[in-house]
Amino acid sequence: MRKLFQRHETYVLVIILLFSVIITSVNHNFLTLENALDLLKSYSFTGIMAIGVLFVLISGGIDISFAAVATIAEYVTVLIVLRIGGSMITAFAFAVLIGAALGAVNGLLIYRFKIPPIITTIATMNVYYGLLIVITRGKWIYALPDCFRSFAEIRVGSFGVQDGSAFGVSVVTIIWFLLLIAAAVLLRYTRLGRSIYAVGGDKISAERVGFRVGRVQVFVYAFMGTMAAIAGIVQALLVQTVAPNSIVGKELDVIAAVVLGGASLAGGVGTVFGTFLGVMLLAIVQNGMTLMKVSAVWYDVFVGLVVILSVGFSSYKQKKQQSSSKIDIRESAPSAGVSADTLQES
Amino acid sequence: MQRSMKYGVLMMLVLALCCTPSLFAQGSQDTADEYEIVTVVKITGIPWFNRLEEGVMQAEKELGINAYQIGPADADPAQQVKMVEDLISKGVDAICITPNDATALEPVFKKARDNGILILTHESPDQSGKDVDIELIDNVAFAKRTWDMLVEGMGTSGQYAVFVGGLTVPLHNVWVDEGLKYAQETYPDLDLVTSRIPCGEDQELSKQKTLELLKTYPDLKGIVGFGSLGPPGAAQALKEKGKAGAVTVVGTVIPGHAAPYLKDGSMTKGILWDPKDAGYSLSWVAKYMLDGGDFTTLTSIPGVGEVSVVGDVIKVNAMMDITKENADSFGF
Repeated sequence: MRKLFQRHETYVLVIILLFSVIITSVNHNFLTLENALDLLKSYSFTGIMAIGVLFVLISGGIDISFAAVATIAEYVTVLIVLRIGGSMITAFAFAVLIGAALGAVNGLLIYRFKIPPIITTIATMNVYYGLLIVITRGKWIYALPDCFRSFAEIRVGSFGVQDGSAFGVSVVTIIWFLLLIAAAVLLRYTRLGRSIYAVGGDKISAERVGFRVGRVQVFVYAFMGTMAAIAGIVQALLVQTVAPNSIVGKELDVIAAVVLGGASLAGGVGTVFGTFLGVMLLAIVQNGMTLMKVSAVWYDVFVGLVVILSVGFSSYKQKKQQSSSKIDIRESAPSAGVSADTLQES
Repeated sequence: MQRSMKYGVLMMLVLALCCTPSLFAQGSQDTADEYEIVTVVKITGIPWFNRLEEGVMQAEKELGINAYQIGPADADPAQQVKMVEDLISKGVDAICITPNDATALEPVFKKARDNGILILTHESPDQSGKDVDIELIDNVAFAKRTWDMLVEGMGTSGQYAVFVGGLTVPLHNVWVDEGLKYAQETYPDLDLVTSRIPCGEDQELSKQKTLELLKTYPDLKGIVGFGSLGPPGAAQALKEKGKAGAVTVVGTVIPGHAAPYLKDGSMTKGILWDPKDAGYSLSWVAKYMLDGGDFTTLTSIPGVGEVSVVGDVIKVNAMMDITKENADSFGF
């Protein structure tokens, strides 16, 4: 139980519950299955990008270019499918290929030339996005391939019919959840996953212990690119229009959600579950504004306050724990010495 | 040895990179007798302003001027300010601009005019610090027409909501102000459920906001969307909830983008003017004024139509309805 309260996720969950109660007391439509499923659908795009950002943050890096990567993967994939035909499987395959390649370029630049990640990815963002605008002249694609239209309508389950429309778990939500599970397994149970934490915790120690820092870094950015690309396709599925400028500008929202979920910009910390909660907290706050009939001018103010409140609360708690644990060590110094001795003996 | 070679190659690359931008420069053969008239738009690379650029290009060809269009990658007032500053140092003859934020640009407009550069604005009639503003529509009539359309769809009473592109976008907010005033006088039973929502330039956000509105106000009967992505987003949400046609959706849209929604009935009607005319008119009036012409005596712009001048605003009436019948016929 005490351990539970030391975890950042617990606080985010508490804040989510608190908000849910407040919003529901104003508008009982908030706590309905339909609203929950709508939210999970709308925010799957942010959520998928957040998985990639989580990996990058854990490894101690940062990526600003992922929105540009997502846009390129989305745009080029749709063009390819329009030109040569194919199904959603070809679409995802092409997107993943493009995303991983562009991400790997980031990783290689960061590792080979030791440029700070933020500079590298700001630069590549400009190059990627700029080239896309130069080549496409900013043209929008209104007529998506038919498979995009039919695939987007797939949903699992049918919960009641309200006003003539059934609702269920959308296919994009399922994609998001599958990716969440895969990412959690990768981080927790594989050597690669653990090495990402090691590199983010202390790069030099990780290198001395024998982790291949370069490979980990390239993997992390390529993974970010892959997630961004999948998110790009999901966005096309959601909006049914491809616009070169519709994703760029949302980077900070995604990074904020991941940090809300407990990842640290300093690296080495963060969980998939926390990231999911971070995305949902942001989603609920934004959703709740309208449902609570708050005037639109207040939206940004509230979102900012919630970020400060939830991150501030948990880091204050951590700070308190740290300072109290320091006192603990001093008071129980003899016993600590004993245990150190016994360790040496064994 | 190898190391110095590597550095040499790197240096060469850097040098080469420094030389490349001039290769991509557009229309920079600065001949003294040719006016340099630059159009600065809100965002570069969206259909609306691509269409506006066609008008700028047409003006360049027909009027023998050096005209081109630039704009920031997102609707950022600060970037527009920077662009105008750059143009001042470049010493252009006239700047035609569609402001993202009217007040943010005032100081830099003053600086431009102190340097003898003409400032023409578009979609910002109350802008201070400009030489002249050109509106392709009469904003009051445009707002009234939009609310009339809304009433045609939902009747004279009921709940509705309004989307704008942003809370600081001058024109959208002028329309809403005028529309609300008009509604209060003419359709007193219309009930605006919440203050204007800033989502009209983002289709995904408009869709999400519409879903939320439907849950919060189940009796919602209409949505007015300004910003070309508001109405399509709303239409998409309605389709998803099986409410296409049950809620009236009107507002500014790109005809080509709105066509499918108009045809399946999820969007009721669109209203617009042709941005190409705006691009052409701006450059045309700029040249006219640089030639010493007085805009207050202007009665028409060739190829665009008759104009009326009120104070320092030139008005052209180019408002048009977009319906499912004519949506495919505009060519943009």
